[in-house]
Amino acid sequence: MEALNRSGHRPFSLSVERVGDAAVVVLAGDCSMEVSGQIQHNLVNLASQPVRAIVIDMSDLDFIDSVGLGGIVAAHLRGRHHGCTIRFVNPQPAISEILRLTRLNQLFAVHASLEEALGAAAKRS
Amino acid sequence: MNPYYEPSIDGPLHDMVVPSDLTAAKEPERVILAEIERCGYAEDTVFAIKLSLEEAMTNAVRHGNRHDSGKRVRVKYAVTPRRVVIMVGDDGPGFRPDDVPDPTLPENLERPNGRGIMLIRAYMTIVGYNERGNEVWMMKENESWKP
Repeated sequence: MEALNRSGHRPFSLSVERVGDAAVVVLAGDCSMEVSGQIQHNLVNLASQPVRAIVIDMSDLDFIDSVGLGGIVAAHLRGRHHGCTIRFVNPQPAISEILRLTRLNQLFAVHASLEEALGAAAKRS
Repeated sequence: MNPYYEPSIDGPLHDMVVPSDLTAAKEPERVILAEIERCGYAEDTVFAIKLSLEEAMTNAVRHGNRHDSGKRVRVKYAVTPRRVVIMVGDDGPGFRPDDVPDPTLPENLERPNGRGIMLIRAYMTIVGYNERGNEVWMMKENESWKP
């Protein structure tokens, strides 16, 4: 059974894997206020590198706050100078609702699967 | 938006004061969410309250107290099976909530900041501020509550 943090939620994790000239970022668990600043630090750093796309897999992301979302937007601003796009994959319903309310689903494409997102990124290049 | 909110509190109002840092700010959340879950609130309502409380605490630490660890964040809360009332206050000079740009407008979508207040308003039933603008009061009705 997966360990829970003191609040009874799955701890946050962020991992990065290179797939060709794209980067797949897997966000998982509880991205709450004490850890959400990690997103900006990691993603802006990633967006500064020569990657064609950053695909963020949200399948296992249970929670994200506005600081975490702002970190993704900051990475978008950094990456677009060299044509890097950010795409989301399979957010859970609660996360989808946050994306809808903030209208970030209009700024970032949301895909049903990792394969679909990587395919769309490849077509764009 | 009416800046003043006189909350209807139908349970005991508890007080907590924590140091102004994001780790210490988790303790009121842990206590309040445990009480809400004990009262049988639905999962999506718990999510809404957690998100709103985190946004308010983050605003207090980052924007109100400007990460000054010598300052404090004050929390008051009342949890009953019918509704949850929470106040988060900081030691800062306050702000005017209506001066914060709407982050959902097309021209603001690419701003990295400014979504916290909008999310609190979206997820809570009623939100208001004190006159100084350094206390946010928010209330969430339990939509599945039956008398």
